[in-house]
Amino acid sequence: CESILKEEPKSLATETFYNTAAEVEAAVNAIYTPLRSSNTSGMGVYIAVLEAHIDYAYGRGSYAVLNNFQGLDNVNISRTAGAWEGFYLSIRNANLVIKNAPNGKSISKANIDKYIAEAKFLRAFNYFHLVRNWGGIPIRTEANMTEINAKRNSVAEVYNLILADLKVAEAGLPDQISQSGRPSKWAAKTLLADVYLELKRYAEARDKAEEVMLSKKFSLVAVQTSEDFQKIFGPTVVTTSEEVFYLKYSRQSGQGNLWPWLTNHPSTRLHGGGGVYGHHSDVTNPVYKNWDDKDLRKGLWYAWNIGLGATSILSKKFIDPDAIGGSGAGNDAPWYRYADVLLIYAEAASQAANGPTTAALEALNQVHRRAYGLAPTSPSAIDFKLTDYNTPSFLDLIIKERGYEFQYEGKRWLELKRTGKAKQIILASKSKTIADKAYLWPIAVSELGYNTAIDAVKDQNPGY
Amino acid sequence: ENTFGQERLQEKITLNLKNADIKAVLKSIERKANVVFSYQKGVIATDEKLTIDIKDETLESVLQRILTPRQISYQVIKANKIVLVRRVLGNEPEASEPKPVPTTLDIQLAQTVMGTVTDENGAGLPGVSVIVKGTQKGTTTDASGKYKIDVPDEKAILVFSYVGYLSQELVVGNQSQINISLKTDIKALNEVVVVGYGTVKKSDLTGSVAQVKSKELNAFPTANVLQSLSGRAAGVQVTQNNGSPGGGVSVRIRGTNSIQGSNEPLYVVDGFPTSGSNPTVLNNVDIESIEILKDASATAIYGSRGANGVVLITTKRGKAGETNVDFETSYSSQTLRRKLDLMNAREYATFYNKQAANDGIRPYFTQTQIDSFGEGFDWQDFVFQKAPMKTMSLNISGGNEKTQFSVSGSAFGQEGIIRESNYNRYSLRTNINHIISKKFTFNLASTLTRIMTQAQNSQGGNRGGSLISAAVSSPPILSPYNDDGTYRIFGTAYSFISALLVNPINPLNEQSNQTKGNRILTNAAFIYNPIPELTIKVSGGIENMDDRTDSYTTNNFINSQGSAGISTSQFTSFLSENTVSYLKTLQQKHNISAVVGFTYQDFLSTSLGGNGVGFLSNTSQTYDLGAANTPGIPSSSYSQSKLLSYLGRLNYSYDSKYLATMSFRVDGSSKYSEGNKWGYFPSAAVAWRISNEEFLKNNTFISDLKLRASWGLTGSQAIGPYATLNQLFSGKTVFDDALFTTYAPGTVLPGNLKWETTEQKDIGLDVGILNNRFLITADYYIKNTRDLLNTVQLPSSLGFTSTIQNIGEIQNKGFELGLNANVLTGALKWHINTNISFNRNKILKLYGGQDILGGFVDISAITDNRNILREGQPLGRFWGYIEDGYDDKGKIRYKDINGDGSITVLDKTYIGNPNPNFIYGITSNWSFRNIELSIFLQGTQGNDIFNTSSINNTVDFGYGLNMPREVYFNHWTPATPNAKYPIVSNTTRTNVSNRFVEDGSYLRLKNIQIAYNLPLQNWGVKWMRSAQLYASAQNFLTLTKYSWWDPEVNSNGGANSTAQGFDHNSYPTSKAMTAGVRVGF
Repeated sequence: CESILKEEPKSLATETFYNTAAEVEAAVNAIYTPLRSSNTSGMGVYIAVLEAHIDYAYGRGSYAVLNNFQGLDNVNISRTAGAWEGFYLSIRNANLVIKNAPNGKSISKANIDKYIAEAKFLRAFNYFHLVRNWGGIPIRTEANMTEINAKRNSVAEVYNLILADLKVAEAGLPDQISQSGRPSKWAAKTLLADVYLELKRYAEARDKAEEVMLSKKFSLVAVQTSEDFQKIFGPTVVTTSEEVFYLKYSRQSGQGNLWPWLTNHPSTRLHGGGGVYGHHSDVTNPVYKNWDDKDLRKGLWYAWNIGLGATSILSKKFIDPDAIGGSGAGNDAPWYRYADVLLIYAEAASQAANGPTTAALEALNQVHRRAYGLAPTSPSAIDFKLTDYNTPSFLDLIIKERGYEFQYEGKRWLELKRTGKAKQIILASKSKTIADKAYLWPIAVSELGYNTAIDAVKDQNPGY
Repeated sequence: ENTFGQERLQEKITLNLKNADIKAVLKSIERKANVVFSYQKGVIATDEKLTIDIKDETLESVLQRILTPRQISYQVIKANKIVLVRRVLGNEPEASEPKPVPTTLDIQLAQTVMGTVTDENGAGLPGVSVIVKGTQKGTTTDASGKYKIDVPDEKAILVFSYVGYLSQELVVGNQSQINISLKTDIKALNEVVVVGYGTVKKSDLTGSVAQVKSKELNAFPTANVLQSLSGRAAGVQVTQNNGSPGGGVSVRIRGTNSIQGSNEPLYVVDGFPTSGSNPTVLNNVDIESIEILKDASATAIYGSRGANGVVLITTKRGKAGETNVDFETSYSSQTLRRKLDLMNAREYATFYNKQAANDGIRPYFTQTQIDSFGEGFDWQDFVFQKAPMKTMSLNISGGNEKTQFSVSGSAFGQEGIIRESNYNRYSLRTNINHIISKKFTFNLASTLTRIMTQAQNSQGGNRGGSLISAAVSSPPILSPYNDDGTYRIFGTAYSFISALLVNPINPLNEQSNQTKGNRILTNAAFIYNPIPELTIKVSGGIENMDDRTDSYTTNNFINSQGSAGISTSQFTSFLSENTVSYLKTLQQKHNISAVVGFTYQDFLSTSLGGNGVGFLSNTSQTYDLGAANTPGIPSSSYSQSKLLSYLGRLNYSYDSKYLATMSFRVDGSSKYSEGNKWGYFPSAAVAWRISNEEFLKNNTFISDLKLRASWGLTGSQAIGPYATLNQLFSGKTVFDDALFTTYAPGTVLPGNLKWETTEQKDIGLDVGILNNRFLITADYYIKNTRDLLNTVQLPSSLGFTSTIQNIGEIQNKGFELGLNANVLTGALKWHINTNISFNRNKILKLYGGQDILGGFVDISAITDNRNILREGQPLGRFWGYIEDGYDDKGKIRYKDINGDGSITVLDKTYIGNPNPNFIYGITSNWSFRNIELSIFLQGTQGNDIFNTSSINNTVDFGYGLNMPREVYFNHWTPATPNAKYPIVSNTTRTNVSNRFVEDGSYLRLKNIQIAYNLPLQNWGVKWMRSAQLYASAQNFLTLTKYSWWDPEVNSNGGANSTAQGFDHNSYPTSKAMTAGVRVGF
């Protein structure tokens, strides 16, 4: 009778998987899923929390508390905990590939290397976000992925892992990717450049960015009007020459991007699912006030009364009038565009050489020209001049340009922290003094409560 | 050579005849018992009429009952031939040898006794049999109740018996005149109670079993039969999850045992253990009785499914005799039980202007506008309607000695008090019992049910994002339609109003969600009796559920391009049960009954779903998914589990004084790990029927006294199939703009798992007083559940967020008291049935002492856990902050519990307990002549409700949500610093706190009914057997302090055991007025 009781599910089992290239690829694909989650308590709001911490926009409703820069309240603690869980789930799925792919029975060495490189790229991407928002964190690799408890590693240890992973990725990822959304070796170099910049290893950052520029694989998409930015950020764009590494979304139930829903207002009809206008700006905001009207990126803002008075403005950068519901927008999440490569290069080159170089200035000018509807690579009247800038003023210029260029792309707060300008810029734009506890988010309760290697009181980030 | 004849005398027969002459009675017995009577002319009087109603009595006792009083003796002379002889005094025929009642040939007739037998009202009772105990000597009373009998000596005992009355025995002594008044037989103790794999006389029960009869189950219409159990039996807590038609009901028998698994009892319909938490296949009218098995002695025979108690449902059977036709119909009118007292338009506008002022925003409304608003639009009146509920059933039952049947067709139709929500059930039920031959019997019980239901979202929602939250939150200053007839969009009409707040007209008109389901439950059995003591039963059954849900949102719904989804599920359970039972009485005093068996049951679930978004036209609805602009990703699933069991039970009683039961079940389930698949569930119980001891036997006050004690182990299958396997789950991700398949493990790390085991001890006392006019049942129990399947939280950095382990222990202990009283039994009859139960729940052990947080609320104003499971505490305590008044700006302050100077999660503490102190029910029936009045009260005491609904609608300011009028009158201002609600500002923040915890105690007049039985006899109506007209009211009166719609609410449902007592915009409970007719032909 015992044999009757044997379970025979019609599903796949871990023990018999990871054997062929197709199986390993499906396992690699699962590393993306948690990062693309449209769940309202998970990664979908990660960008929203970041973008409520910036100089040019404000959170509304439950995001409004972040405008004060006094740290997270319970609602936003839960939100960041969702992001923590999303990053670590993605890391687990990467670790499964890294651990199991080498033992595959019918998979070539080349494929094993390729998929491990992709997994390590994504693992590094996850840790890079984690370490910047939470500081030192537990490192989970294929080596300790089944051990329940893990201590908080130091920030340096985390970066060591990130750099090691990215070097494997850089070596193993293909020159040309099969589908947009997967990292190429150029994506690995770009991420590496960003990590070096964060670590203030400017020469290395500059060199990695330069390698990407010299590859001639990427170029900025030309625009003539503010509406033309939809050629880059629009919901139906599949890929562009500017795309280095994006998380891809599609108008499918469960496969759409939540973030556009959080920024749009239902009565504008710019989002098929309505919108909750959780973020907005205001014409009185100094960043907006000082912004050149001829900059097409400023034209992405439009006036709309959201019940907070007549001065409020909303962004139409991420819109999808045909989105199939709140989390059903087709817009991709652009983590690395060529504009980013250019600006990383500009900043790193200037910092490394202790003064802006011609090449650094040209990189910045390319981004700037495109924003004015000009040909990115042809010199123009609006170009910045090398003689006007020294190291600090050039850095300020780049920080300002990044603010314009990467609105609502989830980059601003991390970059304000990186450059050490957060306190000054927020005070200038919003008249708020950032509390110390606002720089790092609290380690999720779902970690602290159950990881005995971390002391819930002593090891928690300050202020929580 | 007469052995076969003697067995024949022990055969049980059922006889139901009215005004038949005695010859016809004998003919009928000949057919039923397969015997032939032979007698000479004159032995049997030809003109005597008899009325007989005998159920399951031995032929021997039937013959004694009929023949002895008429001075006829009988003798079995061949296997099936019985000779009847008119008895000559002093010349008794010799009794057959092993016959237990010895008779002597020469009885000394010492004295003559005479007297009158009367009923309780003093009227003479004709036809009462008066027998000298231990002899075949006897007589019957005449038309005026008089009798005369000769007895051998003064020690002789006279036995007076009459159908429908309690038999009485009296020692003659030196009396020559004995008048006696017989009492109506309340029957309670002779009733047969259904237990697992058998039946037992109530008086022989050793376990704790409660019974609810059809009259109570069918007292008022309910969509779910379990609703009719509420308050009817001690130890049974029934909570309707919400008030939607056909909405789920959660049942807890003696508390909550399991964290991981379901705590719903096992439902067994006519012997078939069904799946699912609510049996939806039956209409209430089809049910004869429901038995609730509570202690381990009763439930252990169901082994791994017995830990949460077992509910046995028995449907109506046919009886041999006249064919009965019963017809019932009722009509109810339901309305919202209670409206919330919300702000009117003027108050709303003033209120939000106040918010604007507090937040430094320009006023939303001018004074002129405010003055013009008046009362405004009443959204509750718009969303809730008066709704009918109809029931109808026709039952035909009857049969002859060989075949008995009961066939019924019934319909139940409930419209919801919210438009486009309803529940309709049509069922056809057939029970057939056929005696193939002396040794073979066949029976079939089969129900076919069609369920059609339309649902409106029945709970949840944030800032008016669901229909029910919108019914409260919608602004009274706005109406559903714009002047041009289009749907008004609140957020566009006034930009301060939340974009989430949906105009209720949208879901009411533009969304549909319909489920059509077929249910089949069929069970057939062959019964073989090689010898009368032995019954071999082979049965097989199928439970099948096919459901299809179609949901459609039109493209007129706000922000919708039209979306359609279809999901179907198929469930099949196959059951094979094979039992052998043995029944034997040895030397008159040793009663043995035993059953052993082997059963197999499997459970197969599959599902299929498809969806699409974006439709050009609303015409095709869900019937052309291919037309969607964006077809969704189809989904399907498969899961199967199997259960293999061996069971056995032995009942032994000695002289009806000492009773013992032992049972054992071995269950093998496919769901558990290799080596842990088998679970062993023994039980034992003893009972002492003290009232049968000599010292109490003739006590006139205590008529019944029984002490029971039981112990046993039961199990619970807290996990689904495949939970111990390392499965991979597929998903989708996007590259380019195309979908790619992903495979990864889930977030629950599979563990090595075995059964949860519940050990239960019960001690009980049954007391009958004054001829059982008062019956009291009291039970004390302790239930310890060990190897608790427990979600063990893992550090989220592991990627796996939890695993399941057999670690943990929970205890439930409690006390139950039931009282059944026939207070008045005369012309005015008064019957009361009450019960009260106290259960105390405590978590004894959790993994590493680790807390489990639960009850997550995810609305904009609060995203946090609301309850905690912690060692030493009852399950599901509410967990949050304690408010500490307001700061000088009117913002809520919280108590710094740990005193570290800031308010963090470490300041959360216990803020409430969803477990009641006690629950109770009271049924009281009065009847006088043809009029019956019954009332049914039910309540819970001491449980808290976490009112999630009120978060958005009492402290979430600045989004244009309407609120209770109380918030308007009683909020913080510098002049009113101690107001109930904080400052009306969009910067007011709130947390999970004691503010939202309310006393959920209630006492409810669940039903009050007045019925009139037409005096058909007086009218000389022959073609109709009975007719009753009644009018009743349900939920007419509820005493509670709970502020929202209704305290009987459980938004998280029964399946989520650890998150009870939440109200999150639940579909409100209705009250109803009902009128109905019950007719029998």
